[in-house]
Amino acid sequence: MRGHQAESLFKLLPPEVFSNSVAPRLLDALRTEVKTVVSPRSVEEVARLLKWASEKGVGVVPIGTGEHTYPRYLRGPCIVLTTSRLSDIQDYEPADLTITAGAGALIRDLSTEIAAHGQWLPFDPPDVLNRTLGGLVSSGLSGPLRTGYGPLRNHVLGATIVCGDGRVLRLGGKVVKNVAGFDILKPMVGSRGELAVIASVTVRLFPLPVEDRILVLEANDIAELVATSRAVATAPIMPASIVLDSTVNRARLLVRLHGAATSVDADQVSLEKHTGVSFEAKNIAESEHSFPQEGGRDVSEEFSLRVWVLPSRMEGLLDVLKQAPGVTLNADVYGGSVRVYLSGSVSDAESVLTGLRKDVEELGGTIRMLRMPAEVGGSAYRTNPSADERELAMGLKGVFDPHTVLWGME
Amino acid sequence: MTQPLPSNVIKALSEIVGSEHVITDPDRLLVYESDGLTAYRRSPRAVVLPSSTEELSAVIGLLHKNGIEVIPRGAGTGLSGGALTTLEGVIVGTARMNRILKIDAENRRAIAQPGVINARLTEATHPFGLYYAPDPSSQSTCTLGGNVAENSGGPHCLKYGVTARYVTGLTVVLAGGRIVRLGGLGRDPYITLDLVGLFVGSEGCFGIATEIEIGLLPITEGVRTLLGIFGSVESAGRAVTKIISSGLMPAAVEIVDKPTIQALEASVFAAGYPLEAGAALVIEFDGTEAGLDLDADRAEQCCLDEGAIEVQRATDPEHRMKLWRARKKAFGAMGRIAPDLLVQDATVPRTKLPEVLVGIDDIGNRYGLKIANVFHAGDGNLHPNILFDRQDQAQLKLVERASKEIMQLCVDAGGTITGEHGVGVDKREYMTLVHGPAELEAMAATKRVFDPDSLFNPGKVLPEVEIEGGIDTPEISAIHK
Repeated sequence: MRGHQAESLFKLLPPEVFSNSVAPRLLDALRTEVKTVVSPRSVEEVARLLKWASEKGVGVVPIGTGEHTYPRYLRGPCIVLTTSRLSDIQDYEPADLTITAGAGALIRDLSTEIAAHGQWLPFDPPDVLNRTLGGLVSSGLSGPLRTGYGPLRNHVLGATIVCGDGRVLRLGGKVVKNVAGFDILKPMVGSRGELAVIASVTVRLFPLPVEDRILVLEANDIAELVATSRAVATAPIMPASIVLDSTVNRARLLVRLHGAATSVDADQVSLEKHTGVSFEAKNIAESEHSFPQEGGRDVSEEFSLRVWVLPSRMEGLLDVLKQAPGVTLNADVYGGSVRVYLSGSVSDAESVLTGLRKDVEELGGTIRMLRMPAEVGGSAYRTNPSADERELAMGLKGVFDPHTVLWGME
Repeated sequence: MTQPLPSNVIKALSEIVGSEHVITDPDRLLVYESDGLTAYRRSPRAVVLPSSTEELSAVIGLLHKNGIEVIPRGAGTGLSGGALTTLEGVIVGTARMNRILKIDAENRRAIAQPGVINARLTEATHPFGLYYAPDPSSQSTCTLGGNVAENSGGPHCLKYGVTARYVTGLTVVLAGGRIVRLGGLGRDPYITLDLVGLFVGSEGCFGIATEIEIGLLPITEGVRTLLGIFGSVESAGRAVTKIISSGLMPAAVEIVDKPTIQALEASVFAAGYPLEAGAALVIEFDGTEAGLDLDADRAEQCCLDEGAIEVQRATDPEHRMKLWRARKKAFGAMGRIAPDLLVQDATVPRTKLPEVLVGIDDIGNRYGLKIANVFHAGDGNLHPNILFDRQDQAQLKLVERASKEIMQLCVDAGGTITGEHGVGVDKREYMTLVHGPAELEAMAATKRVFDPDSLFNPGKVLPEVEIEGGIDTPEISAIHK
């Protein structure tokens, strides 16, 4: 950003929205120079900034807290736009089970507000409480509760977005069934801020389960639990989630059941009969609904990736992962999605990744980096979309960010 | 006037699909004049019925090469005129693409061609202990391809979600016949943008889905169906709000109002609803057998708290079917009380249901029109049905005005102009009630990404698109102009 550009930027918005403080973790992810951090206080300020950036050809990276930003491959210095000041609850009617809030609202704060009305957001990716609503939507992450509640994308009812050129679009609405026009809200979910800045979101809420029980089965090695986990996934009942986890001391299978106490009792009996094993049952306290299966990791130090395969190929995938040293994992057995954590030196991790991509793709699956040290060249280790998918995605990029202000999409 | 297709094009189409699957005979084309919304009628230049992705791709390639617009069509049960041809259009139907290609019980998915009838997928997967959840009222005739195009719902979508939740991958044929695979179970949905989610609900304007990968659910162990009889539709609406906000998660919550009850009870679908009732509320719970009676007890209490006159519980599967048949055949029963019916579709926030219902009643009274309400109350999806006689020209104008006022009422209440029937041609003019120019332009630009020359279903969904020769016909203007 040249001198006269900076001058015009600082005239554009009041001084209190600018900051030069960037967390090291975010710099690692962005891998480029950050010129300034802007915290707009309104949709109009977001629009003003993006219109300016598109006219000046300056790249902008939108973030929530910045703690979970995906690795980027930017081509020059950028401005970081944080939604932290767009965090108000704009509309909440408990009886409608919907809430509209600014993108910067923390899930922890929203959860506290809605829990007072016996409601919750049934999404449980790691560290969900410390994510923002906009960040969650932008990442598209649902967590293993996708099994019982469906993915996040189906519960995002509306959003106000600001396109790369400053256009403000109000997409969707506040009702759970809405087919009024093409669903251009859908590609915003999971778009990682590469199409538009999400300024506010309307999301569907759910009643807190009367009974929230986790059935636990432990073993020394995750391989001992795979067959049982698949038996649970093909049982005639539908758990809220089925997780295999090796991120804590012992390997664990965690099956979460929701419902009335009597039906949860019956589901447990039915699962134990179907699998031939006895689980240890643990009831979840109200305050722990969000992510009881998370091992309390320090997310800022993770080197992680996400692998998907057909659920029936989970065993094959776990065989592959078993060969790799220093790997721990957290797997959504029903959905076929595995979060893989690497430890050891960067060169060790890179050698694991080299073989892993090939093995995963041979299983028909995909691999994508979530977090990695700045020195790792992550694009080599991820599955690319097909040429057709990529062309269509780039076409959409042209619709919503015609001047390529929101960087990141390769 | 529709021009016949050039003979060389007919010959080339015949070479692709066989001459018996290229329909040009005016008598046979009559069937394809309209979809379920019969107010819109126009005969296509031809109908082509391919049997595979490859045939369909070749057909689209040929038609687009000749600049001919393609109107996709499933079973023709749509209620928004989405399958109405343009003046120069050729209908490409998926009726012969009716095979279930794979049932993969272990991964709880099926891969089906678009012409597979919705209910048949559930029948075919039943032996594996699985079923397909979205259940539009037309499920015994509508096709999965049509469901994908419209993002169809149904009564049980309250708990289980609409079509988009279940579509995990698609093979689609785009402009020029290009075959593209999108997504797929076992692949990270976000290695690129959510193109599958965007394609679902695109009303045939982006291309045609030729293979649909679809998620299945395990058949639930038990079910409880309740019928609440209320003195007024407002009190039934309040009971719905109470049930949902109490933390219960019914599989379905449906309301039929007094005019509908009277029509039903006079028809072959009579279910024993009291004729003097102001509204009937059908509530269903499914899941593990052990918890169902408790859920049903709680819902019953919610109904009684809001003034239900009585609450019945289905005693056996036959009784349950009878209760549901009455709800699902409500539209058919209305044929007894008026020659014509305009089925409307809108969604409002659930808590606004009582006031919106009063507003609809008021609109009906002001215009002297009978409006019968049947709706998916649990998710605020209304179907106000305006009864009329198309021979009465004065009444037609009133129907048009009342219909528009109902849409405005729903939008003003924080709702939208269609919850599950789609926009098609019918609701294009209402799109500006819920979208501004910037949103509509973004939708138009999105269509151009998939269909740059607007050769797939032009003139649908977006209000500003003008079609040469128009899409309005005398029959349309009878109601809508």
